[in-house]
Amino acid sequence: QTNPEIKWRCASSFPKSLDTIYGGAEFVARRVAELTDGKFQIRVFAGGEIVPALQVLDAVKDNTIECGHTVSYYYVGKDPTFAFDSAMPFGLNARQQNAWMRHGGGLELMREFFAGYNIVQFSAGNTGTQMGGWFRKEIKTVEDLKGLKFRIGGYAGTIMSKLGVVPQQIGGGDIYPALEKGTIDGAEWVGPYDDEKLGFNKVAKYYYYPGWWEGGPQVSFLTNKAQYEALPKQYKVALETACAEATLDMIAKYDVQNMNALKSLVASGTQLRPYPNEVLQACYQAAIETYEAEAAKNEKFKKVFDQWRKFREDEYLWFRVAEYSFDRFVYAAPPLASKK
Amino acid sequence: MIEFVTANMAPLMFGALVLFLLMGFPVAFALAANGLFFGFIGIELGLLTPALAQALPERVFGIMRNDTLLAIPFFTFMGLILERSGMAEDLLDTIGQLFGPLRGGLAYAVIFVGALLAATTGVVAASVISMGLISLPIMLRYGYDRRIASGVIAASGTLAQIIPPSLVLIILADQLGRSVGDMYAGAMIPGLVLTALYAGYILLISIIRPEAVPALPPEARSLRGFKLAVRVVTTLVPPLFLIFLVLGTIFLGIATPTEGGAMGAAGAILLALAKRQLSWSLMRQAMDTTAKLSTFVVFILIGSTVFGLVFRAVNGDLWVEHLLTSLPGGQLGFLIVVNIMVFVLAFFLDFFELAFIIVPLLGPVADKLGIDLIWFGVLLGVNMQTSFMHPPFGFALFYLRSVAPRSDYLDKITGKMIPKVTTGQIYWGAVPFVIIQIIMVAIVIAFPSLIEAGLDRGTKVDLDKVKIEIPAMDTNDVAPPFGSTDDSANDIMKQLQQQK
Amino acid sequence: MRALLRLSGLIDAMNDGIGKLVYWLVLVAVVVSSGNAVVRYTFNSSSNAWLELQWYLFAAIFLLCSGYTFLRNEHIRIDIVLGRFSKRVQAVVDIFGIVAFLFPMALLIMVLSWPMAKDSFVTNEMSSDAGGLIRWPAKFLIPVGFFLLSAQGVSELIKRIAFLAGLIDEPGEKMHGHS
Ligand code: NA
Ligand code: NA
Repeated sequence: QTNPEIKWRCASSFPKSLDTIYGGAEFVARRVAELTDGKFQIRVFAGGEIVPALQVLDAVKDNTIECGHTVSYYYVGKDPTFAFDSAMPFGLNARQQNAWMRHGGGLELMREFFAGYNIVQFSAGNTGTQMGGWFRKEIKTVEDLKGLKFRIGGYAGTIMSKLGVVPQQIGGGDIYPALEKGTIDGAEWVGPYDDEKLGFNKVAKYYYYPGWWEGGPQVSFLTNKAQYEALPKQYKVALETACAEATLDMIAKYDVQNMNALKSLVASGTQLRPYPNEVLQACYQAAIETYEAEAAKNEKFKKVFDQWRKFREDEYLWFRVAEYSFDRFVYAAPPLASKK
Repeated sequence: MIEFVTANMAPLMFGALVLFLLMGFPVAFALAANGLFFGFIGIELGLLTPALAQALPERVFGIMRNDTLLAIPFFTFMGLILERSGMAEDLLDTIGQLFGPLRGGLAYAVIFVGALLAATTGVVAASVISMGLISLPIMLRYGYDRRIASGVIAASGTLAQIIPPSLVLIILADQLGRSVGDMYAGAMIPGLVLTALYAGYILLISIIRPEAVPALPPEARSLRGFKLAVRVVTTLVPPLFLIFLVLGTIFLGIATPTEGGAMGAAGAILLALAKRQLSWSLMRQAMDTTAKLSTFVVFILIGSTVFGLVFRAVNGDLWVEHLLTSLPGGQLGFLIVVNIMVFVLAFFLDFFELAFIIVPLLGPVADKLGIDLIWFGVLLGVNMQTSFMHPPFGFALFYLRSVAPRSDYLDKITGKMIPKVTTGQIYWGAVPFVIIQIIMVAIVIAFPSLIEAGLDRGTKVDLDKVKIEIPAMDTNDVAPPFGSTDDSANDIMKQLQQQK
Repeated sequence: MRALLRLSGLIDAMNDGIGKLVYWLVLVAVVVSSGNAVVRYTFNSSSNAWLELQWYLFAAIFLLCSGYTFLRNEHIRIDIVLGRFSKRVQAVVDIFGIVAFLFPMALLIMVLSWPMAKDSFVTNEMSSDAGGLIRWPAKFLIPVGFFLLSAQGVSELIKRIAFLAGLIDEPGEKMHGHS
């Protein structure tokens, strides 16, 4: 028995200039082809080439294209439950997201939810903890958030607006000039490697961290359910393998690129600033309120949230014991070579 | 036969597009029909499935969501109010008085205003339509050669895409993986040089064919001395106020560039009110025309999105890629061939599709050849600007056609019968400016320093020498679990015990 | 044919009325957009709803005025060849264009956009940005807009045929200049 030749189109939500995240889909395509002797071919199209970047989920759902590569929180307007598939503010870091998805019950819950959209989804990438955005002025107190015009999308915008932030999702072409002239006070994007390419460092001095709304955002590979189920078993395995490898590869790539980009940003005069604890605490409380309000009115959300929240708490305890203690010591210790 | 068609869908689509468009049915529908026609062939050949058609409403929705396009109604509306209320006429008339004895004075004014508008918007349609409305009737009144009048308006309108801010530059920066800021900085000087070249062309014409760009007739130059000075001050205040509203509010951080357009439109209404030149009938006319012009412009985009989708679906982009991979080596050879190719492809594809299809293919090759990508991007930007001016498919020419008189009309001021502007005149008027663009491409290739000068490259840093002081977080406390107010969160043992 | 011409007259009146109503949104969009900038700057307050309202309004303008613009014959054409021919030839070309170019595109998008809009309505789809608007009103503009365009296509088709049959003097409106 010979396997059939299958050709799929994959719509990415990302421009080619985000080479690492866009590259995740190309990585999947390449590995799938290699694993199937070139018989299962996936052709990747950048955001807008087949469907607009934010319409990828709809396109896969309707079988306009067989598959897509996107971040699920783009679709929180349809249902906030989508955010669990990528990142919840103050949620999991990349390793924990992976743990939840692979062995923590997350995949089952999310597959059930995505089935309502005719979609079978896979983790196929993660950016690692992102940065908290570029600002023209410093944020020292919660009071400073009042009237702060910040270009930030999705769920984090909802949370911040509770503290008086004015989320302004202005058009793509307007972001740079608006930040340059102070029409908006801040804008967030990804992390040092991608942000440097946009040149935000030239128009906003302060670079805040951490991006608490994106502790470890997963990038997902969506397949149309009927198309996926029609695949020969070997191709399904190939796809699953390729996606798992892409998750590993993307974060490794970002971890190398970001460390160099951060240096070059600082060398160009960028000022690093942590979000003050007071601000984080206030945002944290606002996040909890937001989740509880959503859970009270949204059954699907509540089902995932209850399980996710328990997992999160247990996982945090474990991470605090060995992982966090190790991190805390080694990052504070002097470099290996020097003696002090 | 089938194999030939399958392998050559892209050139066949181009060829058919020329036929479809020349047939004279509205451009928007011809573009879309061409796409659907080949989409159907593609389905028959097994290149795509009917399911892909569902991408069409998604793409229309994508166009709806594109905020940048808002510049089209805003600037069109502003231009209409200025024109219908007679303010534009006052302005250009005054400039005419000022430059009265100077041949080509009005043309210089158009170029100057075009550059100013370009600094506020990146949307060529907005710029060409508003300038066509304001200045074409006046240039016709004073006997300008209609080819030169329309050429200078279309060309000055395309400055919108090379002088920042600009949609084209944003897309180029994105596709080449460079920062928008650098692309803007790099395009600034070439944009100004180009503006100077346009003015230089008018100067040349005023010497070799003075009758084509006449000075204002003595009877139109009624004001002199003090009276003229008063007139200049009083008529220049309103437009300066408008320029402040558009440019100033962007510069002061009040408005985004898109909102700047709306500020200008609102300002034009206020001005017309203040001058008691605003009536409901004038408002209705302006809104009516704005709605119709915006509709036709966006429907061209909708038509080309249908074309673009099918072009990709039948692997037209792979065909172009194939063409590109057989390019000769060497920096100069590469640049020349690329520019010729972009120039030719621009006859068929609008700049969006051009930027999305070929730039990602060219970028890596250029990079490998050691070509600076900002330089390369600006070069492509200047070249693609011509795609707006190519007869017969330059979009700027469509926009100008839509606001140029189609039938003879009686001029209000002089009472003379003014003949219509023919499409042929618009096409021929664009030709010299297309040549100027080609010259500019050569200049950019020859003098990369024009781009470099605008750039702040910083100094090369040795990453190993960079020291980063990382400010510490101001607490080591751990956040309590969701919903808990327990301040013992830091005690792991206690928490683990409680878990049981 | 009389009944068809009456239908054409009805369609013309409908799109004329819609166009004249919808063009007021131009003014609304100008006020919303400039107002948002001023309020955001002076009071540091705004919402994504205002930003989204801008493009909702513009989408309403160009989609709902698509039929009106066609009625006024202002969808731009490359008339360099066609302009040399008689009105009869132009009418024949238009008949071909409406049937072969306009109908397939407008009807296809109309039909395909309907489920998309309906789905958005049924699921109460919201903007994914904080404070953003509900989506179905924007999505329903697509089928409605392409319906109005198709309807105008029917009307123009009737007028061209009637012209060729000698029943009316003009095959639809002339292209207008805006001088
Ligand atoms: Na981010
Ligand atoms: Na510009």
